[in-house]
Amino acid sequence: MSSVPGSPPARRRRRLGLRSRVTAAFTVLALGLSVIMALATYTVTRSSVVHSEEAAARRQTFSNAYFLRGALRNNHNQQLPELLSTLGTSGTASSVLSYRGQWYASSLAVGRDALPDTFVDEVLRGHAAQQIFTFSGHPELAVGVPIAGLDAYYFEVFDLGSLDHTLSILALVLAAAAAATTVLGALAGRWASRRALMPLRETARVATDITEGRLETRLEAGGDVDLAPLATSFNSMVDALQARIQRDARFASDVAHELRTPLTTLSTTLGVLEARRHELSPRGQQALELLGAEIRQFERLVQDLLEISRYDAGVIEQSLEPLQFSELVAHAMAVEADDQVPLVVEPAAASVQVLGDKRRLERVVANLIGNARDHGGGAVEVRVQRHDARVRLLVDDAGPGIPAEDRTRVFERFSRGPLARRRLGTEGVGLGLSLVAEHVALHRGQVWVEERPGGGARFVVELPVSREGGPPVEEGDATGWDRKGRDEVTASR
Amino acid sequence: MTLDARWGADGGPQSDKTETVASRILVVEDDERVRASVRLALEDEGYEVIETATAEEALAAFERRALPHLVLIDLMLPGMDGFECCRAIRRVSTVPIIIVTARTDTHDVVAGLEAGADDYVTKPFVAKELGARIRALLRRARAVPGQPTQAINVGDLELEPEAGVVRRGGQEIHLTRTEFLLLCELASNPGRVLSREQLLERVWGYDYFGDNRLVDVHIRRLRTKVEPDPTNPNHVLTVRGLGYKLQAG
Repeated sequence: MSSVPGSPPARRRRRLGLRSRVTAAFTVLALGLSVIMALATYTVTRSSVVHSEEAAARRQTFSNAYFLRGALRNNHNQQLPELLSTLGTSGTASSVLSYRGQWYASSLAVGRDALPDTFVDEVLRGHAAQQIFTFSGHPELAVGVPIAGLDAYYFEVFDLGSLDHTLSILALVLAAAAAATTVLGALAGRWASRRALMPLRETARVATDITEGRLETRLEAGGDVDLAPLATSFNSMVDALQARIQRDARFASDVAHELRTPLTTLSTTLGVLEARRHELSPRGQQALELLGAEIRQFERLVQDLLEISRYDAGVIEQSLEPLQFSELVAHAMAVEADDQVPLVVEPAAASVQVLGDKRRLERVVANLIGNARDHGGGAVEVRVQRHDARVRLLVDDAGPGIPAEDRTRVFERFSRGPLARRRLGTEGVGLGLSLVAEHVALHRGQVWVEERPGGGARFVVELPVSREGGPPVEEGDATGWDRKGRDEVTASR
Repeated sequence: MTLDARWGADGGPQSDKTETVASRILVVEDDERVRASVRLALEDEGYEVIETATAEEALAAFERRALPHLVLIDLMLPGMDGFECCRAIRRVSTVPIIIVTARTDTHDVVAGLEAGADDYVTKPFVAKELGARIRALLRRARAVPGQPTQAINVGDLELEPEAGVVRRGGQEIHLTRTEFLLLCELASNPGRVLSREQLLERVWGYDYFGDNRLVDVHIRRLRTKVEPDPTNPNHVLTVRGLGYKLQAG
């Protein structure tokens, strides 16, 4: 309850919601699958492309070596570099020849130095070989063949740059596809969880409606087969709740009637007697005074009790209207205070309006003054002041004040502890202040008690200001009000 | 019925000391002791009190022509309830009616006002407050309504304040006293917005006691009688947040 100060709401540890978790699971799954697929695709494609490239390179090298063998046998004097350049090589291949210990190359860029030593040694030992290596930053494929019967070894070096380029484009495409799949997975997860949680959200909405008093609201039972049991049991729970609330409300209403009828006789007769006070003897007048005080006290207690039971039964109906706060306080004081309690309205607060329930706010003022009278040696001053967007009512009393540890407990029902110690009069248990707290909370205000400068207690009620004087605030037209009123009533019955 | 003729004729014991005829108040209340105590209190204030325990008896009192100047009806009655009693009285009379309810439920109050009551008090009421309301309603019933005595025309509405007659398109409309006064008040300030507080003060004679709901419910009842389409009024208009005004439509 907002009326109990000094109790900050406990900070809740935030955990990931179900929706976020389902979404995350979908995302992780999509990411994992798409990465595996992409890697597999890349690996298979790469090895198959490289294999076919190697096979082609081998074929070309062998056929060139065969051609060279013939050329070298037939014509020893031919210029070897020229011979090499006549070989049919594909555009990116270069030829290197070792003949009788001499090295020849078709290209200036790629010679013996370009070839890895181990690879050259392997070929020079008489074995055909191939190797992929990096030369000046480029991936190259070298194939070496000993030429049989001659002291000649033929090498061909293929530039794998374009192949490498193709493969990296493939990798890029696959990565993009994986990313897109992941995003799609996340979206699917979000959608699926949203879809799955829709009935829950609907349930939550209905529950909120019911909490707010629209007890007629129900879940639609005829929907998903899987969810029908939830809807059915939820609805039957609300049925039971509604029946119970109605029973409580009817009981409170019956009790109210039963109590109010005799009270009417009491208070009306008391009025008659008081008007004829002068006809009574002094002792009779004394008795009447006691009777009067007690009946009024009793009446107040019954009213408070009924009001509290309405809060408990959840049958609160409010008729909000714009009220000039200082005027309301003055009126409530005129009705309640038999003694003269000074009312100070600070100029800034004079025309301030609050949107409130007149009867309940008057009760707040009356109960605070009654409390001061019964337990605080009487109110010494009532003050209305402005605090930014709020208006405050200060009720100071002449009592001993309330110890700090009891300052929230005084607003509990029948809190006898602190009140018992403060009891000066003969009357009163603490229903009045708890009702003050309920009423103030209903108006989205706060109430607390503090020490009055100079001793005594100071009860402070703080309410939001609806508007600064002038024409009254928006309150709906007549029909609007009534519709609201009726809704509230139907909700409470 | 010719109750309308009394509006200017009867005097109450409070305002006019020379008046010898006490105002008659019909108290409809099933609880014997409440009834007796109310009688005591009202008689002490100088009224003549007729008691009945049921709505049926109350209506019989109307038939006998022992006509009251004001009726106090408890809403919870055995047999015919207070709401029905209100409606039955309204069919034959425009006498001021105050309903007494033991509940503070908005619902009961509104339903009672809808049934034709002019005002309400909740149990347990303070005799002083009840007295103030009775005096205000009686004073109002005696007073000559409004300043303008000549007929007022607003659109197809025609008011004759002195005769207490309202016509729409030549056809007489039957209004209760409260509805009639509301209409007169709005009609004598054509086009001007009157706040609920102003209307409470001028029509009911209340300064603080009044409940804004009184105005709202009676305006709605008034609309059902003077508006061709009460849900879409074109004479008695709500000015949101301010109050009500009358226009030619």
